[in-house]
Amino acid sequence: MWSVIKSVLAAFFGVQREQQRREDFENGRPVSFIVVGIAMAMLLVALVALVATLAAR
Amino acid sequence: MAFHFPKSNPEQSTTTADAGLADSPHHERPRGLMRWVLTTSHKEIGSLYLLFSLAMFFIGGIFALVVRAELFQPGLQLVEPEFFNQMTTMHGLIMVFGAVMPAFVGLANWMVPLQIGAPDMALPRLNNFSFWLLPVAFTLLLSTLFMPGGAPDFGWTFYAPLSTTYAPPSTTFFILSLHLAGISSILGAINIIATILNLRAPGMRMMDMPLFVWTWLITAFLLIAVMPVLAGVITMMLMDINFGTSFFNAAGGGDPVLFQHLFWFFGHPEVYILILPAFGIVSAIIPTFARKPLFGYASMVYATASIAILSFLVWAHHMFVVGLPLVAELFFMYTTMLIAVPTGVKVFNWITTLFRGSITFEPPMLFALAFVVLFTIGGFSGLMLAIAPADFQYHDTYFVVAHFHYVLVPGAVFAIMAAVYYWLPKWTGHYPHERLSQVHFWLSVIGVNLTFFPMHFSGLAGMPRRIPDYALQFADFNMVSSLGALLYGASQLVFVLVVIKCVRGGKKAPAKAWEGAEDLEWSVPSPAPLHTFETPPTFERPAH
Amino acid sequence: MRTLLERVAAGLTLALISPLVLANGWNMPIGVTGLSREIHSLHMTIFWICVAIGVVVFGVMFYSLFRYRRSKGAKAANFHEHTGVEVLWTAVPLLILVAMAVPATATLKNMYDVSEAEIDVMVTGQQWRWRYEYLGEDIAFTSNMSTPREQISGEAEKTENYLLEVDEPLVLPVDTKVRLLLTADDVIHSWWVPELAVKQDAIPGFVNENWVRIDEPGIYRGQCTELCGMDHGFMPVVVEAMEKDDYESWLAERKEAAEQESMGIDREWELDELMERGEKVYGSICASCHQVDGSGSPPAFPALAGNTEMLDDVEWHIDTIVNGVSGSAMPAFRSTLNPVEIAAVVTYERNAWGNEAGDTVQPSEIVEMLEE
Repeated sequence: MWSVIKSVLAAFFGVQREQQRREDFENGRPVSFIVVGIAMAMLLVALVALVATLAAR
Repeated sequence: MAFHFPKSNPEQSTTTADAGLADSPHHERPRGLMRWVLTTSHKEIGSLYLLFSLAMFFIGGIFALVVRAELFQPGLQLVEPEFFNQMTTMHGLIMVFGAVMPAFVGLANWMVPLQIGAPDMALPRLNNFSFWLLPVAFTLLLSTLFMPGGAPDFGWTFYAPLSTTYAPPSTTFFILSLHLAGISSILGAINIIATILNLRAPGMRMMDMPLFVWTWLITAFLLIAVMPVLAGVITMMLMDINFGTSFFNAAGGGDPVLFQHLFWFFGHPEVYILILPAFGIVSAIIPTFARKPLFGYASMVYATASIAILSFLVWAHHMFVVGLPLVAELFFMYTTMLIAVPTGVKVFNWITTLFRGSITFEPPMLFALAFVVLFTIGGFSGLMLAIAPADFQYHDTYFVVAHFHYVLVPGAVFAIMAAVYYWLPKWTGHYPHERLSQVHFWLSVIGVNLTFFPMHFSGLAGMPRRIPDYALQFADFNMVSSLGALLYGASQLVFVLVVIKCVRGGKKAPAKAWEGAEDLEWSVPSPAPLHTFETPPTFERPAH
Repeated sequence: MRTLLERVAAGLTLALISPLVLANGWNMPIGVTGLSREIHSLHMTIFWICVAIGVVVFGVMFYSLFRYRRSKGAKAANFHEHTGVEVLWTAVPLLILVAMAVPATATLKNMYDVSEAEIDVMVTGQQWRWRYEYLGEDIAFTSNMSTPREQISGEAEKTENYLLEVDEPLVLPVDTKVRLLLTADDVIHSWWVPELAVKQDAIPGFVNENWVRIDEPGIYRGQCTELCGMDHGFMPVVVEAMEKDDYESWLAERKEAAEQESMGIDREWELDELMERGEKVYGSICASCHQVDGSGSPPAFPALAGNTEMLDDVEWHIDTIVNGVSGSAMPAFRSTLNPVEIAAVVTYERNAWGNEAGDTVQPSEIVEMLEE
């Protein structure tokens, strides 16, 4: 689970190591990446919204 | 739907391949015109898409030249303001929906099956249908020019209520035409997704796919996500115009700003639909002519996915001056700045691919390199536009016009040109004429920059977009832009000449037309025969 | 007026000069408000950041293109990954952007702070003019482009402020915080004056807020920046900033004029008087759609010359002007024009361009109608 989160974070950041990518594509199930990806996208929205709200004070 | 993430399933690939072939038995092929009307071959449909796109590119280009001719000098010389507005509107609609999108779909049709070792698209008849919707849609759109009240005149973004209560009667035809084009896009996207997920050569995993295939896969998902939003918003317009609803009519309790939210929720991912396949093309061409593997392949894929997700979170940066609440303004400014990062990563990757390569400058490479430089300039102005307070000064001026033309013309269009030069040997069996291609390239580069670079200045100096006449201080910039546009437009005739010459003959190309090319399409003969990969190839992973 | 050839030559030279020569007329104006200066400095900061990144990126690119040509015997290396470098070039732009976001946020908050304004002006966009209403002062007027059509068509020499001049500018005092309330009657417009760094959409059904505090007296020119139909390009914004004293006396003058106008409501007007006044109103309000000669441009804008529907039914004629035609481009002029102006323009339309209704419509009749 932690490795899935790490890989999704790497995707958001846009940098991934070849070795790690190979492992993801050999061992991981796509569904877990998609679910974590959507959750992280929502988290990102929440985070940016929070920063914007605080900044607007 | 089978979703094979790590491995592809060889048995399934073969069965679907057979089914695809059964659609077009050799002995029953119709001849003449009906051959093209009824074709289910991905290659022929790909060619149809590309020819259609070329025709639209010239029609949209002529509209642009009418605009530039009127703007050559201050004052109204050639056209009335109403007709001027029709020209800007039709230019935008034709170029976005009729030229750039179909060109990329055409390239996908031709190249995706060849790059993944599939015999055809997964749904060949649907493929035929999605192409033939387009000529219908755009004939309908162009016919509005001859209707009473004229063609749509409210800009390609068709903001309500100018496009509803105050629109010419032809708007209903415009809506129908956009619906047809949208259906075509959705069907095309479904087909591409089905092909990529199901028809890969045995042994080719997702992460072995060429980047053009990857970027198109992500683009196709974007299309399916946003085209229905466009369909929804134009249907609401249809209701407002013809059935007395008030979605966007303030007098009836409606909300004109809602229109803009809906439009840009479609429109911003649409911008990436127009550029992601271009990233894929450039990522194929640069390694070929630098003779060096693409730097950071995994990062490129991840950055593309990241751009796709972020593209849904930035739409209101087109609306910084409509009076959004402060929090919304900040939110969209931050997300817009974030999306610049993965885009920057791509540029860095291409340049690092060049570093310590062994570089030659064939025509596709020239266009790809010009893409990197000029697209980056468009990216810089994009970064400036992301700064919300400064956007209050840039918004709806020629600075914005300069920005999006830099990402669309020397961006998307140059990438399409690069792709055509890159794959012409595969399509025709001949190399394009080298000297003529270079003439086309240099005239295009000079023309594009003369046209669009001065627009940065006229915009900053205060010239609003979409005006048929302007104050005297903008005269010099506009004159240069108009001359540049004429040069750029005329130089595309050279392109047509190159393509015609290349189809007719020229230096023979071997199967592997470019020394440094790696992908599967170079394993079939040039020109590619009508049927390729009837038995799936065995994919061998490159040594890296 | 320079010859065409000279201007082509000058233009081409201009395009070839480096963009770093950011003289006046090439770049965003610094402007005459605190905010415009802040925005200008944000603009220049991000511009130089882009230039710096561009120099590095394009420098490496062109160095590689030059140094690693195969024609010079370059052999390709085979590296294709380096996580350290990739993390670095993702993190550095991220940090630059965060650094940029901080001042941008501060400026934006400043722009959104409309509190403690001393003057409120309602700005209403209409196809294709601006209407200004000084709230609490009982002063309102419309501002039309005053550039003659002959200059646009090329029959007359274009003058200095071509397309950027109006019959009545918005007059504001300097050193005073003015709140602008923006809305529109028909389609979306956008009110922009570059020197003031104010650009705000005027949207039907919405009231947007913005504010300005001008430092120097002067005349500042801008244009509508949201496509609003046929004459979008002919809808300038002109702001005249005055010293506070001058502004006060301007205000007093306007009030007196408004009072005199309201006295005109009760008296009987002659046909000639109404025609003269009506021609002016028609020229500034109606002619952009219905044309100076009343020929209109059907089907959107019907002809008024020889329009029997209009000539046969004076009540309908007045009602159309007062209340507009819903679902069409004809706006309601109930609040834009005063009774004298309505009476004058109705009379004019009924007796101009060969129309021969012969009747006059008196301001008092309009007042009666409006009260109903």
